[in-house]
Amino acid sequence: MINWPNFISQVFNGLALGALLALISSGLTIIYGTLGVLNLAHGAMFMIGGYAGYVAYEYTNSYVAAVIAGSLFVMILGVVMERVIIRHFYHRPHEDQLLVTFGLGICFVEIVRLFFSSQSKLVPPPPLFQGITSLGFMYYPTYRLAVVGIVAVALGALFLVLYRTRLGMIVRAGIEDSVMVDSLGINVHRVFMIVFGIGAMAAGFAGIVNAPVVSLTPGVGDDILVETFVVVVIGGVGSFPGAVLGGLIAGEIISVTSMFNPGYAYVMLFAVMTLVLVVRPHGLLGVQGRE
Amino acid sequence: MLKQRPFLIETLTAVGLIAAPFVLPYLGFAPNTVNRILVWGLFGIGFDILFGFTGLLSFGQSAFYGTGGFVAAYLLTRAGFPYVVPALVIGMIAAAAVGYLVGLIALRRTGIYFAMITVAIAEVFFFVEFNPLSAWTGGENGLPGVPTPSFNLGFTSIHFTSGWSLYQFLALCYFVGIVIALRIVRSPVGAILSAIRDNPLRATAVGHDIHSYKLAAFVIAAAYAGFAGGLLGVLQAFMPPDAFTFDTSGQLVMQTAIGGRGTLFGPLVGATVWLFLQDFLQSALGLGAAWKLVLGVVFVLLVCFLRRGIVGGLEDLCRWISGQRTRYPEPAEASAEPEVSPANAAKTLVIREPAPLVPAARRSAGDNHSDPILQASGLSKRFGGLVANSDIDFTVNRGELRGIIGPNGAGKTTFFKMLTCELHPTSGKIVFDGRDITGMNVTNVCQLGLTKSYQVNQLFSGLTVRENVVIAALAELRGKFRLDLFRSLDHVPGLNELVEHTLDLVKLSSRSGTPVSQLAYGEKRRLEIGLALATSPSLLLLDEPLAGMSPRERVETVQLLKSISRGRTMIVIDHDMDALFEMAERVTVLQEGRVLVEGTPEEIKNNAAVQEAYLGGVHGVLAA
Amino acid sequence: MNLLEASGLNSYYGDSHILFDVSLHVRRNEVVGLLGRNGAGKSTTLKSLMGVLAPRTGTVNLDGVNIAGRKSHAIAQAGMQLVHEERRIFGSLNVEENLVLAGLTAAGRWPLDRIYEMFPRLKERRGSRGTDLSGGEQQMLAIARALVRDPKIVLLDEPFEGLAPVIVRDLMTACRNLAAAGLTIVLVEQNLAATLALAQRIYIINNGHIVHEGPALEIKAQPDILQRYLGV
Repeated sequence: MINWPNFISQVFNGLALGALLALISSGLTIIYGTLGVLNLAHGAMFMIGGYAGYVAYEYTNSYVAAVIAGSLFVMILGVVMERVIIRHFYHRPHEDQLLVTFGLGICFVEIVRLFFSSQSKLVPPPPLFQGITSLGFMYYPTYRLAVVGIVAVALGALFLVLYRTRLGMIVRAGIEDSVMVDSLGINVHRVFMIVFGIGAMAAGFAGIVNAPVVSLTPGVGDDILVETFVVVVIGGVGSFPGAVLGGLIAGEIISVTSMFNPGYAYVMLFAVMTLVLVVRPHGLLGVQGRE
Repeated sequence: MLKQRPFLIETLTAVGLIAAPFVLPYLGFAPNTVNRILVWGLFGIGFDILFGFTGLLSFGQSAFYGTGGFVAAYLLTRAGFPYVVPALVIGMIAAAAVGYLVGLIALRRTGIYFAMITVAIAEVFFFVEFNPLSAWTGGENGLPGVPTPSFNLGFTSIHFTSGWSLYQFLALCYFVGIVIALRIVRSPVGAILSAIRDNPLRATAVGHDIHSYKLAAFVIAAAYAGFAGGLLGVLQAFMPPDAFTFDTSGQLVMQTAIGGRGTLFGPLVGATVWLFLQDFLQSALGLGAAWKLVLGVVFVLLVCFLRRGIVGGLEDLCRWISGQRTRYPEPAEASAEPEVSPANAAKTLVIREPAPLVPAARRSAGDNHSDPILQASGLSKRFGGLVANSDIDFTVNRGELRGIIGPNGAGKTTFFKMLTCELHPTSGKIVFDGRDITGMNVTNVCQLGLTKSYQVNQLFSGLTVRENVVIAALAELRGKFRLDLFRSLDHVPGLNELVEHTLDLVKLSSRSGTPVSQLAYGEKRRLEIGLALATSPSLLLLDEPLAGMSPRERVETVQLLKSISRGRTMIVIDHDMDALFEMAERVTVLQEGRVLVEGTPEEIKNNAAVQEAYLGGVHGVLAA
Repeated sequence: MNLLEASGLNSYYGDSHILFDVSLHVRRNEVVGLLGRNGAGKSTTLKSLMGVLAPRTGTVNLDGVNIAGRKSHAIAQAGMQLVHEERRIFGSLNVEENLVLAGLTAAGRWPLDRIYEMFPRLKERRGSRGTDLSGGEQQMLAIARALVRDPKIVLLDEPFEGLAPVIVRDLMTACRNLAAAGLTIVLVEQNLAATLALAQRIYIINNGHIVHEGPALEIKAQPDILQRYLGV
């Protein structure tokens, strides 16, 4: 017999997790779609967003300041990373790109561990969203509900940027044909830098928004990275709608399966990923045949 | 370098392993550290074959490490199986079987997708090991009580307990592992794996079933990982659950990159650096937890600046030192650097005088009745709404040299790709040598005797001239897949003859030891043709063989093509009309996706419709 | 002074030598044709001028400024535009977005109305995605996109290829009007009649070498040259 309140609760959890994954994966997928680089440091950037926000919170006691600090810090980190290192890897084989972003991810985690130790840090939710809310037949932590809303707003903002602004137009064109964008007088290298910054910021924002939900440790980005990959494979590399759809699917799979048996959550996720690979190799909403 | 003097490397390894217990303590290595280095080194041998040699970067090797380790440990602890080495072997087999299944999924994609999938695999295995299967694996606690090996030889027993005693056992395992790996790497399979890393497209096109070879490499890596995992349990007398973590996979990748990929010993060197620095940085420098950060930075720096790791860097250094002593100019051959003749801006004609049309004296007349080797009927290709080729009937007779020409948009490229089976026709049929090859893949068609040389060179850029031809020849001699892991390349029957013969045909015999990167462009083009020739094709397609050539190179290449056309059937596409008309016996003209006309070069030149097709109504313009 | 002057260009794909010491010049307001069979190096010449394929040696002067070796976006900002043979419009963007994007970094960009006046068909289809356009419409968009930037010189790579005669006629009219309005054009084409109708002067390229240069009218009196380098 299914415990209905538990089930609904898990569906909500899945929505929260799914929205989060959608946001992080969007960042990863637009970086990959535009630059052709898979950022293995993406999980670490998620984690750094949390810690940067934590530091800001310690100083200001303001949740909003924490969110802004977390996002901005990671955006700047992304921009610097692209300029200093990634830029030199565009013409190197994919494997080298993977190795260098992987190495940078490890360095980020270790730097944080050095400064903050492995003990978990806590960022409390803002007073507005503390406590629990009654949903009629059950109670649910208020902040987790808020997270769904906050991330949905962020995704909406990302959507607006991509589809309603000139920058977004350039990014979408760059995903399709970056050489042509350059021919039209737009410096693609600058575009790449901005895209990396935006993608990183998405991860960092997600990191600080998620911090009150789970405790913040240096390794919190590791699982996220894996889940992001699965989302991107399911949704289709280079596709923003694919990342959103894939994120929601993955979030629900993890949550609902956890209800029955936590150990099988990842197995289910992997099984679905395999299915997609077999039936639709380029993902559900895959844009192009980028390998 | 791994292929040089036979048994040199094996001997040096044995000597090193024997000397280690006497030397290493003075360098600050505890026996337990050395043992751990050996286990990582063995783990890494298989990974290096997968990544360094085949080019497949997997972040999921911990899955097989853990599988092999836990199967062995379970047998030895809870199941009460008494023999250590057989348990290790069973663990290895289990890991290899799992590797096969996982490989079937993971290898469906390449590059980035492949890496992502392996990351996911590692995580899945970890979770499964931790939760559903915790009854067998001990969950968080792992499996304690793994025994060390003992051998009862009747007159005496040998017990390998711990420290330097266990070292002897581990060193023996490592030695065996290296010897096997060296044989694999020096076998035809090893050569093909390197070719797959360099240019998978061409490896497929010369007739190798690269998916099966990749799967083989994946299984080999899993086997090594499984055995090493078992050794870990023996070493620690306890099988830890963190064998399965993504961290383990990551550490393996970093160690291999630091030590040097594609060297087999890279992982050992990398593990030495890693474990040494870990101890050194933590204890001597008192850095505590920052040791991993230092290693991370070292790793990133090496990836940026020393791509082939420490061992690779040393190899390059040796080569550079010795290379400087052999810098004598090569004996002058037919084609040195292409000459760029100054062309006057205004009205100069092409420097090379067009050679007078030589009547086709290559073959006897009466070819009209020889049997067709290739027959395409009703061949059409549609891309969505665009019709590239429409209802083409095309026949080539055995021994012919056919040219295909056509103005822009004629559909030549699409047509050519259908002939080689790179593209499948929307409708129509292709019969080659009596067999219907419509819809076949490139590998199978090449094995049947139809292959092409590419417009843009598709060579194995990391290999020498001879090694390039060997790859193609191996497909010809061994079929599309053979798992002869332990045969030496020197012992493949007929290989040397075929390679020498091919090099001779394309006049590259004097350059056989030269790396591709050092060849002149004309030489690369000849090698390009040589790769196709080495597959002993009965029908050879040449896609713009004269592309990008200077006038002098064109003359030479035309001569070359004429010489290799003896006894072979060839179809050539090129835009150099003079050259094509000099070589071809018959020419097919395509226009707007259809065959316009076919005939001898003379007939084509005098055909008004052909002129019209090329000059687009110029007669009307000229008349005006 | 010539608006565009290229001298001694040698271009390679990898180490495949495609252009051998190619030199050409284009005067202001001129329409110059570049003829040759496919594979002769016409596209490569245009790409080398535009910086899409950087020439290994040689100089390219645009309005007196040496632009060889510069990145394409810098060359675009210097006033040159290339309409690629494959058109390369952004399929995921609609017509208007394609045009707006092109003009983003152009100082004297054309107002959209002027573009739509010249290509009424594009105005009808302004909201359609690039992938939904027909071949002729895509070509129109590719040319319009180049014009948005108010370039000094436009390089057209086989703009009439694969299009229905009616559309070719429309495009030719547009080109003629642009030339009359003073635009400098380099036209690469296999369609000889169209080229001779538009160009004042032509070059012929064969196997990567420039083999002929002269007034377009004169070539009509030299059918043997045409046959040699363009025919069979």
